[in-house]
Amino acid sequence: MTDILTIKNLSYKRNLTNILNQLNCSLPTGSIVGLLGENGAGKTTLMRLISGAANHYRGEIKVSSETSPSDRKQLVSFSHQVDDVNRSDRLEKIAHFYEAVYPDFSTNKFQRLSEFLNLDLSRHLNDLSKGNQMKFIIAITLSRQVKLYLLDEPFDGIDSMSRKKIIASILQWKPEDATILISDHHVDDIANILDGILIVKDKRIIVSKNADKIREDYGQSIEDFFESFYKGEDQND
Amino acid sequence: MKFDDKVPIYYQIKQYIYREIIIEHLKPGQQIPAVRQLAVTLTVNVNTIQRALSELIDEDVLVSKRGKGNFVTEDTEVLKNLKKRTVEEQVSNLYDNLTALRISPDKMLTYLENYINSRKEANHD
Repeated sequence: MTDILTIKNLSYKRNLTNILNQLNCSLPTGSIVGLLGENGAGKTTLMRLISGAANHYRGEIKVSSETSPSDRKQLVSFSHQVDDVNRSDRLEKIAHFYEAVYPDFSTNKFQRLSEFLNLDLSRHLNDLSKGNQMKFIIAITLSRQVKLYLLDEPFDGIDSMSRKKIIASILQWKPEDATILISDHHVDDIANILDGILIVKDKRIIVSKNADKIREDYGQSIEDFFESFYKGEDQND
Repeated sequence: MKFDDKVPIYYQIKQYIYREIIIEHLKPGQQIPAVRQLAVTLTVNVNTIQRALSELIDEDVLVSKRGKGNFVTEDTEVLKNLKKRTVEEQVSNLYDNLTALRISPDKMLTYLENYINSRKEANHD
């Protein structure tokens, strides 16, 4: 399998503090991968760097064959791209905005996804419940026709019905050759839909493994395997 | 479907399909649902389903017809072996567990017989 993303020796500083240091990883084409790590480990920062939203890093980030941030922006659909819209707008107006800004946006796919997720497009984004806001963010992010999707904490603080619906929409609507990276600090929610996991810790990727291989080799759930990297740390804090 | 989160998912999907075939929810020659539909129904990754199905095809339990999909085999020999293998696995687990408790084979039979009788009585009530 070819890789849609390869990162070599990525280092990134903010306010003179190292956030990521000499990080290496890759993502195979057509997979769903969980990006795991504690809050503050740098998951969102890594996604911002991949998507081309953050700059001034050292090392190489390659999506398909593109390495420059502006080229990568065209190839990656990132859930935080919704942060650029006006939240008091109606959902349909935001969709028009996406259509104008992203040539790869499929209005048809967006409408079918919204219907699947029972979204009322005449509502204003900031009037929706947290679960419905996240459904909308997922719908609009997956409606760009790209090879790499980055979903940052899509299940954080939302009810289990919304979560199930979002997971179903990911399985139903992911193009076969597209790759989805999902960050989460509570992997139990999504363990069954993952091909593999990346664990961010100590400013780098310390684990990159296939999910069924973890179950097979360690006889552990993905959650337990993930947590085993944090054992004994509480005392040191 | 509920999965054991410590056991590879592809393996559990294979076991699930074996069961469906043995109890004839999936009949010989019947087409099985498309990969993506199975993924959504079972809430697992498409690649995981793909892996389970391709192993079932390698085992001749499923037959892949180009452009048409995957079908349960109509080969009675394969189906007979599948049932035999699945039942034997359960019996072997039971045997190992009882042996670990130092139960002799003769005693096992007695325990099993008594248990079956008590279940029969329970069902009559």
